[in-house]
Amino acid sequence: MGTSDKKRRQTPGSKRAVNVGAATETNGTASLLDTARAVDLSTSSDSDDGDWQNTSSDSDDEYSSASFDDDDSSGDESEGTTEINEAILDYMGALEKEREDEERGDSLSGGGEESRSPRAVAESDSSEDEVPSRNTIGNVPLEWYKDEQHIGYDLSGTKISRREKKDQLDSFLARSDNSKDWRKVYDEYNDEEVELTKEEIDMIKRIRDGRVPHAEVNPYEPYVDWFNWEDKGHPLSSAPEPKRRFIPSKWEAKKVVKLVRAIRNGWIKLDKPKEKPKYYLMWGDDLKTAEKTANGLAYIPAPRPKLPGHEESYNPPVEYIPTQEEVNSYALMYEEDRPKFIPKGFSSLRQVPAYSDFIKERFERCLDLYLCPRSRKKRINIDPESLVPKLPKPKDLQPFPTTCYLEFFGHAGPVCSIAVDPSGMWLASGSSDKTVRLWEVQTARCCRVWSMTGPVRHIAWNPRAGLGILAIALQQEVLLLDAELGSNTEEVSQLLNINVSSVTEHAGDGSLVNWLRHEKLQALQIKHSQEVVSVTWHHKGDYFTSVAPDANTRAVLVHQLSKQQTQNPFRKLQGRVVSVLFHPVRPFLFVATKMHVRVYNLAKQQLSKKLMTGLHEITSMAVHPKGDNMIIGSREGKLCWFDMDLSTKPYKTLKNHHEDIQAVAFHVTYPLFASCADDSTAHVFHGMVYNDLLQNPLIVPLKILHGHQKIDGQGILDCHFHSKQPWLFTAGADSIIKLFCN
Amino acid sequence: MEDAAEERQIQVRFVTKLPSELHVATTPFSLPAHLTRYGLSEVINALLGLDKPQPFDFLVDDELLRTSLEQLLLTNKLSAESILNVEYAYAVGPPKREKSREHKDWVSAATGSHARYIATGSYDTSIRIWGADGSVVQSLEGHGDAISSLEASRPTGDEMWVLISGSKDHTVRRWELSLTSSQEAVNTAVTLERPVKVLKGHTSAVQCVASNGSGTAVCSGSWDCSIKLWNISEDENGESLTVRSKKRKLDASAEAQELEVGTSITLEGHTQCVSAVSWGQRDSIVSASWDQSIRSWDVETNINTETLIGPKALHCLSVGGDNMALFAAGGADPILRIWDPRMPGTNTPIFQLSSHKAWITACKWHRHSRRHILSASHDGSVKLWDLRSKIPLQTIDAHKGKSDCTIK
Repeated sequence: MGTSDKKRRQTPGSKRAVNVGAATETNGTASLLDTARAVDLSTSSDSDDGDWQNTSSDSDDEYSSASFDDDDSSGDESEGTTEINEAILDYMGALEKEREDEERGDSLSGGGEESRSPRAVAESDSSEDEVPSRNTIGNVPLEWYKDEQHIGYDLSGTKISRREKKDQLDSFLARSDNSKDWRKVYDEYNDEEVELTKEEIDMIKRIRDGRVPHAEVNPYEPYVDWFNWEDKGHPLSSAPEPKRRFIPSKWEAKKVVKLVRAIRNGWIKLDKPKEKPKYYLMWGDDLKTAEKTANGLAYIPAPRPKLPGHEESYNPPVEYIPTQEEVNSYALMYEEDRPKFIPKGFSSLRQVPAYSDFIKERFERCLDLYLCPRSRKKRINIDPESLVPKLPKPKDLQPFPTTCYLEFFGHAGPVCSIAVDPSGMWLASGSSDKTVRLWEVQTARCCRVWSMTGPVRHIAWNPRAGLGILAIALQQEVLLLDAELGSNTEEVSQLLNINVSSVTEHAGDGSLVNWLRHEKLQALQIKHSQEVVSVTWHHKGDYFTSVAPDANTRAVLVHQLSKQQTQNPFRKLQGRVVSVLFHPVRPFLFVATKMHVRVYNLAKQQLSKKLMTGLHEITSMAVHPKGDNMIIGSREGKLCWFDMDLSTKPYKTLKNHHEDIQAVAFHVTYPLFASCADDSTAHVFHGMVYNDLLQNPLIVPLKILHGHQKIDGQGILDCHFHSKQPWLFTAGADSIIKLFCN
Repeated sequence: MEDAAEERQIQVRFVTKLPSELHVATTPFSLPAHLTRYGLSEVINALLGLDKPQPFDFLVDDELLRTSLEQLLLTNKLSAESILNVEYAYAVGPPKREKSREHKDWVSAATGSHARYIATGSYDTSIRIWGADGSVVQSLEGHGDAISSLEASRPTGDEMWVLISGSKDHTVRRWELSLTSSQEAVNTAVTLERPVKVLKGHTSAVQCVASNGSGTAVCSGSWDCSIKLWNISEDENGESLTVRSKKRKLDASAEAQELEVGTSITLEGHTQCVSAVSWGQRDSIVSASWDQSIRSWDVETNINTETLIGPKALHCLSVGGDNMALFAAGGADPILRIWDPRMPGTNTPIFQLSSHKAWITACKWHRHSRRHILSASHDGSVKLWDLRSKIPLQTIDAHKGKSDCTIK
C-alpha cells in the first residue's frame, strides 16, 4: 500500500493532489472536491470519469466517503441541475470575488478571463482578502434560519429577508426561456442566485477532468536546477540514491532472526514489566513535589497542623478529661505552659458548643503560613574535630612559660618597658613613675633605682655582653646609663664620657641632636627636638636608633655610640613611624609606620621591601633571631606573622587579643614568641622556623597567661623573654612585673 | 558494721634500732586497725612506761607511717592476717624558734658549720658572725657588692675557722678567723686571723662557692658560666690582724693587706650561670647550672666526669645522703629532685619531693643523717624532708618574704 501510494504521487495523476494542496488554504476543501465530482457526475459522462472513479477508490479513507457520495448522487441523476446548484454553493464561498465582479456585470470576454483566473487563485489563498458576504451570521448551520423570515443580518445589522422561492415549474420555465440559466447557482447562505462565469465553468470542467483548475498552470514545467553543485563545492553529492536504500537490509533481517531465536530460547531475558505496588501512599504526591518543581525552586510544604486526637473528641474517654484539681493547677501555670485546649465530654454531638477560638486559630495559622518564611536548612555532617588543623599538642612543645613564679614589686606607676640583660641575670624596667629599676632575676630583688626627670617610655640594654649600658628613652632625650654590671668598666666610662671633638663637630651640625654629659647620673644624654618613643640597639652594640614620631623627617635617627655621632638616614618618611628595628644579622632596617613595614637596605641605601600588613594600626614588631620572619602586633588585637622570604603579605594573621596589642617578642634561642595586650593577657606561641626553605613556619598557640590587673584601660604594657631560659617577663599597668616560667 | 571495723585487729610486732632500754617485747601485739602514728606512739609510750611521753615515728617497709594501719594495708596490698613488722624511732620534733635577729638588708647566704657561731652574708655587702645568744660578734666587710654565697670550713679544733664568700662584685674572698674558746668572752672572741685573700678571676658575678672540708681548696661558680678552682697555699707570709671590737669595719689599712690570689684552674662546660657547686666525696666537684644540668668534675684531672640533665633550670644543689652520693637539687619549679648518679643511663630523679609553692632556692642534706634534707623556697617556707615519706616532716613558715638560704 505504501509503495503504491508513493507511486500515485509520483505519477502524472498527482496533478489532482497538487491541486488539492493548493485549495487546502481556502475554506471547505472537501466541499470543493465534492462540488467538482458532483458537477462531473451530473452534467456529463466523459471518458475521464472512469479514471476518476479508479483513483478515488484507490485513495485513502478521506476520499472513500467522497466515493460514496458519488454513488448516491449517481443514484438520482434525475435531479440534475438542482443538485449541481446545491453542490456548487460551497464553491461559491471561495470565489466570491469573481461572483461580485460578475454581479457588477463584468464582461465574460476571453482576455479578461485569462488575466483574472490566476489572481483568483492567488486571492483564494488567503481568506482575509475575501470580500465579506452580504450575510453576516457567520459559519453557523443554516438550519437555524430555516423557519425564519430572514436569512440573516447585513453589515448594518438589519435583517435580510428571505426571497420568495421559485417553485419547480417557474425554474423550469426560466431555464427554458434563458439558455444561460443553467449557469445560475443558488447561494443559500446569501439567499440569491449567482450566475457562474464562463471561466468558472471552465474551472469546474477542468477539475472534473482531473486536471489543474487553471488553464495557464503547467504542471509539467521542465525542472530547472537552480543550485549549481559544481560551483559551490557542496559536500553533498547529487548522485542518485543507491538501490540499497530502497531494499530491506539482508543483515538486519539476519540480526532480527538471531535476536528472535535468542529470545525464544531464553538466551536473552527481557525485563519484567514493572509491578505496581499493591498499596501506595494515597497522599504521597506531597512528598514528591517537595523535592523539586519545574521552575527550579524547591517547594517546601507548609508544616502540618497537629491532627486531632482522642482528647478532642466530643466525648473523650474519661482519662483524657482533667479533674477539677488539674484544671485548677492550670491556672497557676505560666500562660505559655498552660494547655490550649481542655478536653470536655458531651453526651451527644448536638450539645457541643461552637468552638470559640476557631476563627482566631485559623487566622493565626494563616499568619504563620504567610509570615514565617520557610527555608531549607542544609546540614552537613562533618566531624568538627576534622576541621581543626592538625597541630602538635602544646604538651609536646615544652618548655614554654606557664606559671607565674616571681613578681617584681616596687614601681609606683605603670611599667612601660622592660629589658632583660644579655646574660639573663638582670632585668631593667622603666616606669611612668619616673624611675628606672634594676632587678635581680633570680630573687626578684630590686637592686638599684634611678630617678629620672620624666616618665620613661622605653629602655633597652646594649646587646654587648659585659658592657651593661642601658639606653633609656624619656621625654625628649635618650639617656645612656652605666648600670655598673659590666666587667670592663674602663671601656664603659670611656664610651659614656663626652667626646670633645664630636661635640664641636656637632655644634655646626647642631640641629639634629645634642650629645651631652649628664653629670648627676654619670650618663650620656642625647637631646632630641621631639619626644622619643623608643630606642633599639644594633646587635653589635655600637649603633642604636631612636624614634621620635613627631619629628617629621627626623623621626628616625641612627646614633653611633663609639663616635658619638648621629645621622638621619631618611630624607623623607612616609607616614608616622611607630617603631624601628635592626635586622639581627644583615644590614637591614625595619621601619614600621601605621600600616606598613618598610625594609631598608642600609648598605645599598635603598628600600628593599614593603610589607603589606593589612592592619589598621601597627603598635609593635619583633624580628625572629634568624631574621627572615617577623611578627607585628596591631591595635585591633591582631598578630601578623611575616615570612619575608615567602611574601610581603602576612603568612598568618592571628586574631587572638580582644584589645590593643602592646608588645610582641621573640625568644632568642627557643622557638617561642609572645604577645601582650591591654586585655591583660599575654599569649605564648610556638613559632618554629625551619632551616629548610620549603617548609613553612609552624605556629602553635600554647598558653594564655593571666594575672595582671587592668588599670585605666591598660593591661600588659611590655613583654620580654629571658635571654636564655624559656621564661617570659610581663610588665603591667598595675606596676608589677611578672615572671612566667616553664 | 562499725563494730566490726573497730574490732578489726592487726598483728603488729615492734622492732627498733634504738638503745636497748627503749626496746619492747618482740611478741606480736594485736592492735586496732584504725591506729595512726599518734596512737602507736601512745602504745609504745605505755609499753615502755616512760615518765615523760616521747613521740615516736613508725616505719613499715622503710616507709614512714603517715596514714592509719588499715589504710596502709590497703594501699600496700598487705594481708591483714600476717604479722606486720613496725619499726619505731624517735620522731623529729618541731623546730623551736629560738632567736631571730633582723638584718638591715636581705640575707642571701648563711652557714652554720660551727657549733657556736653562725655566719650570714647579706645584700648590704657585709658578712656577720652571730654568736649563740643572737648578737653580732663580728662583721666582715670588704666586698663591693652583695654576698651571694658563703661557705665555712669545718673548724679544726677551736682556733681556726675559714669562711669563703662569693659576691656579685666578681670576687671570692677567704676569711680566716680565729676563735678563742674562753668561756667568759664568747661574744668577742672572733678575730680576723690573716689577711683576707681575694680571689679574682671571674668576669661576672660569683653565684656560689664551695670548699673542701679544710678550706684549702675553693671552687666557685659564676655567671660567666665557668667554675674556677683555687688552691690556697698556706706558706704565704701572714700578718695577723686582730679585730677586737664587735662592729669594727675594715679600714683602708686592712684593705691594703688583702692578698690577691690568681685562679688555678677553670672548668668550662656549663652554658649558663653556674648556680651551685658542692664539694663531693673524694676530690670531685658537683655543679648545677641554669642550663638544667648537673655536672660532676674530677679535681685532679679537671674533667667533666658525669652530666645529668634535669627538666628545669637549677638554683641549688646539695650532695649527701647515702655514701654522699645523692644529688639533691632544686630549681625554677617547686619540686625538689634527688638524683642518684650511680643509676646508669637515666636522667630521671629517684625522688621528687613536691610541697613547695614557689621556686626552691636552697637545699641542704643533713650532715649526719642520710635521709633528711632541708629545702627553702621563695614561698617563704623551709621544709624538712625525710626520704622515707612523701610529705615533709616539718615546715617552717617563719619568713615573710622569700627564704633564700639554708644551713644545717
